[in-house]
Amino acid sequence: MLSRVADSLYWMSRYMERSDGILRMLRINYAYSQDDIPGFTWKPVLKIFSFADEKEIFRIEKNGREVLRYMVLEKENTNAVFNLVTLSRENARSVQDHITKELWQCLNEFYHVIRDQYLYDSLKTEDPISVMDGLVRQCMLYYGTAEITMPRGEGFYYMNVGKYLERAIQTVNILDVKFSEQDYDLDGTHDPIYWRYMLLSISGYELFLRSYRSTLEPRNILDQIIWNENFTRSILYCVIRLQRSFEKLNMDTTLESYQKIKFMIGKLKSQVQFSDIQTLETEGLQAYLQNIKTELYNIGTAFNHYYFAYD
Amino acid sequence: MDSSFLLNQYPLNPEVWDEMCSEGSVRMPYSKVYEFLNQISNEDLTRKEEMARRLFMNQGITFTVYSSGEGIEKIFPFDVIPRIITSAEWEFIESGIKQRLKALNLFLKDIYHQQFILKDGIMPVEMIYSCPHYLREMHELNVPHDIYVHIAGIDIIRDADGQFYVLEDNLRTPSGVSYMLENREITKRIFPDLLPQNNVRTVMQYPQLLYKNLASLSPRHISNPNIVLLTPGIYNSAYFEHTTLARLMGIELVEGRDLVVHNHRVYTKTTGGLQQVDVIYRRVDDEFLDPLVFNPSGLLGVAGLMSAYRKGNVAIVNAPGNGVADDKAVYIHVPAMIKYYLNEEPILKNVPTYQLNNADERQYVFDNMAKMVIKKTNESGGYGMLIGSAASGQEMEDFKAAILQNPRDFIAQPIISLSSAPCYLNGRLQPRRIDLRPFALCGPNGIEIVPGGLTRVALREGSLVVNSSQGGGSKDTWILSK
Repeated sequence: MLSRVADSLYWMSRYMERSDGILRMLRINYAYSQDDIPGFTWKPVLKIFSFADEKEIFRIEKNGREVLRYMVLEKENTNAVFNLVTLSRENARSVQDHITKELWQCLNEFYHVIRDQYLYDSLKTEDPISVMDGLVRQCMLYYGTAEITMPRGEGFYYMNVGKYLERAIQTVNILDVKFSEQDYDLDGTHDPIYWRYMLLSISGYELFLRSYRSTLEPRNILDQIIWNENFTRSILYCVIRLQRSFEKLNMDTTLESYQKIKFMIGKLKSQVQFSDIQTLETEGLQAYLQNIKTELYNIGTAFNHYYFAYD
Repeated sequence: MDSSFLLNQYPLNPEVWDEMCSEGSVRMPYSKVYEFLNQISNEDLTRKEEMARRLFMNQGITFTVYSSGEGIEKIFPFDVIPRIITSAEWEFIESGIKQRLKALNLFLKDIYHQQFILKDGIMPVEMIYSCPHYLREMHELNVPHDIYVHIAGIDIIRDADGQFYVLEDNLRTPSGVSYMLENREITKRIFPDLLPQNNVRTVMQYPQLLYKNLASLSPRHISNPNIVLLTPGIYNSAYFEHTTLARLMGIELVEGRDLVVHNHRVYTKTTGGLQQVDVIYRRVDDEFLDPLVFNPSGLLGVAGLMSAYRKGNVAIVNAPGNGVADDKAVYIHVPAMIKYYLNEEPILKNVPTYQLNNADERQYVFDNMAKMVIKKTNESGGYGMLIGSAASGQEMEDFKAAILQNPRDFIAQPIISLSSAPCYLNGRLQPRRIDLRPFALCGPNGIEIVPGGLTRVALREGSLVVNSSQGGGSKDTWILSK
């Protein structure tokens, strides 16, 4: 496969994964903002998903509608869903012969939905949750179409590499920002509403209740979000999937590039798998998350370097 | 639009306390909502009503009516305009309910143990033993933390004088809490940003509070007790509520056939073998809990449950036998109970109630039947009721005959003028009668009441019956922050 093609598929997939994560986060946070929570702010969401500076954040953090506009439609915001979908579709457009027609049409449709004046108007006046639901549904169509129509070849596995790498980075970022607000204190706030909404925003609340019942305390939350192999957004789940997708790429296993990336992913997986709450206590949660984040970024850079030939 | 437009169209009844309006002006707590309603067009409001209906339908917040072998999904009618309660009113209601529940729990413990209240002559003995919900099986049975009523849905009404009264104590398996939670979610969707603008307190913590209380009852001191919700099954009209609560607490929803009792312990039958159950939050009536002890043809419970309960191997929520405390004839004595057990003056008043086995009171009721509501003491859901003002002569005669036969089974109350609240019906605001059911949770650490509740509304014009089985609907209930 051409490096350019692999690169495009990888980014098409990463941008869609990011759009999905952002939209879900916005949907749940909007619901959160409707409960009368003293001191509610959109700051964490903006910190996790945008590059907005302190000044910009301060300007809009209390204004839900404005945050939604900024995160969905603001062209100046590189991580606005508008830009992500546009980029994803641009990538898809240049590799149309490597994805199925259905998948291309799906992304193209999403692109037109996101540009439609109707979305702009409804985001201003309608129920934001319905609007977010509509957009999340577009993401779901993309996932379902990819899953059902794409042949299991190199292209598909590059898409998966992008998807799981992106998801792992998101999860680490969410943990980092949410726990930084609690000073990374493992015995910190037991405010159930704070944690409930965080779990809801990554679709992990029901699983949490089933696993830990109702004790929303930081240790249990970290246990699920870092290590639960059955939780589709846990760091361990994403890294295992990343490793599996990478192995399916059918590379020449004697090449240095393969060896290098194999080593990096394997090392990260072991780091996550063979650590536990005890590790967080001795190492500190902040350092632990920072370390994983660095490793994930390094893996991304290595893909660029060895397979997509950016440098 | 002229800001008085809505008000001019709103047909106030001067003999009724209206929650939104008083003498042509809007009460303070409603001012923001009123302003909002004035700005929104009729078409938009109708569209929102339609949206609410669709959301209820799509989310499966429905009950199924079976006719001609076919199930029809119906929604519990929802009125889009919220009912608003100020923080001061709420504090009053809250303290009143707490006091009442404290006394009722003490009463249940007493009545199933030493019966001091009977020995001291505060309550007539016949009243207790003639109550069909009094369970001899509960006698001398010790329940965890002496809590009988874990979940109460006490019905509160407001009379024409603006005062709150207790209409009924629901201490068995009160339902409706899922509508408190879902109505709020729907309001978030149809009126974005209106809730935070009004500083409405959240109700979302309810499932976690309930879970915490259930877990505290576990007879085994283990970190992860096995708690189940026992439902009569999918044909029950409250089945949606059962699944919702089970999901929100992360506990298993079980039917009687999923349970088995072995050696005085209750187990769930699972793919991994039998698993011992510690706490059962049951939504099955006493009568059907255990065919060995109660109704032998009941298939909804599990044989041997009461023996496991008696041994203390499983906790049942609410305790069986609570019906003796929410019997409508016993209700009359609740203020006396509060004085007897707590030595306090009742905060929330009872509605004046006549006991029909007292000849003088019965005669008075018969003489003033058109101004009375007559209720059977052990029926609920708005059944077995006669509203004097709306009854025909024949109906009155039938009731009189029935009362003379079994006076213990009836009580009478003067027709109370339930307060009204604005509803959006047929494209305009109209006042309709409402009540309020807050949900109180009693745990080992005291009584907690989530700031909210279910406001039921009699949607038929002029009707005073809010029960869902009698054409009632519901509203989102807002408790404002200070």
